[in-house]
Amino acid sequence: MPENDLPTGRTIIARGGYAHKKGQDVMREFITGNQAIVRGAVRAGCNFVAGYPITPASSILTEVLRAFADGSGVVVQTEDEIAAIGQCIGASMAGAKVMTATSGPGISLYSENIGLAQMGEAPLVIVDCQRMGPATGGATATGDGDVMFARHVTSGSYPIPVLAATDATTAYRLAYEAFNIAERLRTPVILLSSKAIALTRQTVDLEKVQLSPCVERKAAAPDATFHPYKVDQPGGVPDFAPIGGSQRVRFTGSIHDEEGVLTIERDQIDAKLQRLNTKILAGSDALELVDEDLDDSAETLVISYGLADGAAREAVRQSRDCGAMVSHLTLYSLWPVPAKAIRRAVTPSIKRVIVPELNLGLYVEEIRKLLPGIDVMSIQRIDGGLIEPQRIVSAVTADSPCGCRCGGQSK
Amino acid sequence: MTTLAVKRNEMAFCPGCSHGMVLERLSEAFDRMNLAPTDVCIVTDIGCVGISDRYLDCHTFHGLHGRSITYAEGIKRARPELTVVVLIGDGGCGIGTAHLVHAARRGIDINVIVFNNFNFGMTGGQHSSTTPVCAQTPTTPAGATDYPFDVCQTVGANGASYVGRFTAFDKDLPDRMEAALRAPGFSLLDTWELCVAYYAERNRLNRKTLTTLSDEMDLPLGELECRRRPQPPSLAVTATGNAVTKTAEPSIALSWAERTEFCVAGSAGQRILSAVGVIGRIAVAGGLYAAQSDDFPITVRRGHSVSNLILSRKAIVYTGVDRTDLLLVLTEDGVRRVKSWQALSTDTLVLAEASLNLPATGARIERIDRKTAEKLVGKTSAALALLSYAIVRGGWLDEDRFRTAAEFGVRGKYRDENLKAIDAGIGLARAGFELET
Repeated sequence: MPENDLPTGRTIIARGGYAHKKGQDVMREFITGNQAIVRGAVRAGCNFVAGYPITPASSILTEVLRAFADGSGVVVQTEDEIAAIGQCIGASMAGAKVMTATSGPGISLYSENIGLAQMGEAPLVIVDCQRMGPATGGATATGDGDVMFARHVTSGSYPIPVLAATDATTAYRLAYEAFNIAERLRTPVILLSSKAIALTRQTVDLEKVQLSPCVERKAAAPDATFHPYKVDQPGGVPDFAPIGGSQRVRFTGSIHDEEGVLTIERDQIDAKLQRLNTKILAGSDALELVDEDLDDSAETLVISYGLADGAAREAVRQSRDCGAMVSHLTLYSLWPVPAKAIRRAVTPSIKRVIVPELNLGLYVEEIRKLLPGIDVMSIQRIDGGLIEPQRIVSAVTADSPCGCRCGGQSK
Repeated sequence: MTTLAVKRNEMAFCPGCSHGMVLERLSEAFDRMNLAPTDVCIVTDIGCVGISDRYLDCHTFHGLHGRSITYAEGIKRARPELTVVVLIGDGGCGIGTAHLVHAARRGIDINVIVFNNFNFGMTGGQHSSTTPVCAQTPTTPAGATDYPFDVCQTVGANGASYVGRFTAFDKDLPDRMEAALRAPGFSLLDTWELCVAYYAERNRLNRKTLTTLSDEMDLPLGELECRRRPQPPSLAVTATGNAVTKTAEPSIALSWAERTEFCVAGSAGQRILSAVGVIGRIAVAGGLYAAQSDDFPITVRRGHSVSNLILSRKAIVYTGVDRTDLLLVLTEDGVRRVKSWQALSTDTLVLAEASLNLPATGARIERIDRKTAEKLVGKTSAALALLSYAIVRGGWLDEDRFRTAAEFGVRGKYRDENLKAIDAGIGLARAGFELET
């Protein structure tokens, strides 16, 4: 029986479980997506969280409160969302690894400060537990309506890495990876979840999840003169020194030179703003997080993300059971658009792409832009319910070469 | 003046503007306290005072309009040893009032200096929340009709530990600043200034009339007495979050045929979500995969309470419940919330409280008696007893397997109570309900 320190609620099952070989230790838990996000954040070294209650994100705050009760981090419930993200940016620049969580209405209030974190280059993880919008919408209704909002949330539409969880396990993994991206690129990163992930309790085995090595922001050389926004190359990321450390730091949301002082010089302005763009886009291959389940002879490709992914997986399984040849690509990173992975998934025989989404069909337009000449079909649902696998199965098998019209029923 | 990097005439402020003078006084206070540049973080936001950061040789943070208080609080929480000073304008105080009040209320140890020149000097002299009544500004051409916001009283009444109102010309300003910086907790200095570009000329405000303005507005200058608050009892959160649940027993492997979808529909207060959670945990401990999604109104103590549970021996990728295998309905709220009655087929077993009228449905219906379960285990455990009944009755688990799995998988504070309810449910499955026909 392993005696390692385990987070709360973990049930250790020494031997057993159908999905595992005999004699193998399994450690499964039954946790919500929100709990999984907190586990991922803590695993990444998160030590500062500020938030304001909102359904369905609230339990992230209470879960962090328990996780930090041993003094391993600071957690604050603020007077509003503006203060929540404001405190996070302050703490981030003082050296903390920070996270804040909200839903659509809160992202609206975060908007201006997300721009501040971009301009000032403050690492920051923002969790958006999406609910039905616009406005108050449906607090307890699920959806993936913020996929474009997350990308274009600030003035100037400078790029923000956006990840999308599909279930509790990927919520854990992506929360962790979001910190790595935020720290490496000194940028806000938005992790999309959704009510039906946030509050659904699922079986997870977090020990089994493959994580990349933990990344810390690159520290400035301690002895040298510190230039807060100086970089070695055009798309580079400035070295970090914390506010409160031995090197004097300037942080600003105004357009600035490499000393962090407001500038009106066009060349300096251009260099800075181009860099905000290129530091994210130049290395965008490294930001592609997908799951490929490809069939070389497939004529149909299902591309899914977020909440629709579970239905897509189920639909692909059922379709294959009745003989359809279909590929499936899950997108965990939405922005920058994982273009390489999407093109790679379009193997020569692919004639049609199906994109199920819990919104008005927003992201499908990005895929259409990437794949001219290919029939890209959108499946949508916006009433707060999930897309049923059956709808995707019907779409996949409608023109199936095997002529199968069973809709996945003949298992 | 070690913190101030430039002379007053090198600053971008208009000639005669008070901002540079107040910055000099602040730098003097830092020197007196022997604060090194890296011991201090100055947080600024929008407005003329917001450009001060470039003249200061210390840590600086320049953020969004009125939000400087929030950044300062985050910095202070992350670096408690740092002296954190907010320089904010009267404009910032208006748009960021909530932050001012709540930072004071929380007693966070930051120091706020309000550069109050009664108008928006950066955008053309429009009126601010501190503009005196009757004052002339571009947005109050007939004179301001609204009364000014008393920043000092507001924070003083809400937890600040040091509050004072002074003019930029007060000779003892560095003393006051030092007192504010040394005071533990939240401090605020409302520093009255002249905006030579707009406000001062239009309203005949000068060094001398600043003092008479205080009398006219009944906003006294000097240190203000803060309302004292009783010391709160010391509270601590128990660190349950990192507590470890370890089990020494080997697992039992539950056999389970296919993906099964359960739905329990009842009312608030019946602990339906907890009951379903207990069964979910038993299943997970038994090596199965589970997914629980709940549905309840935001007013949690009234109305429906519905919980869905999917159990499978394979990983569950789709968590929607479209083909309910078991629908356990306990109350009228539950009946109303289930929208799919008409669509249900004989694949679904409905176990419904005997007294309920059910809509037309193709499902197989059996009746149960909620009161019998309530008599056995009490109202708050009846849902778990009835769900346990249903699992055995529907043939998903036999009595022995269920009992062993429960013994292994039920943990926590309510273990005994929950095991009793499961036992009662298993017993009911054997005995059956005595229903009036």
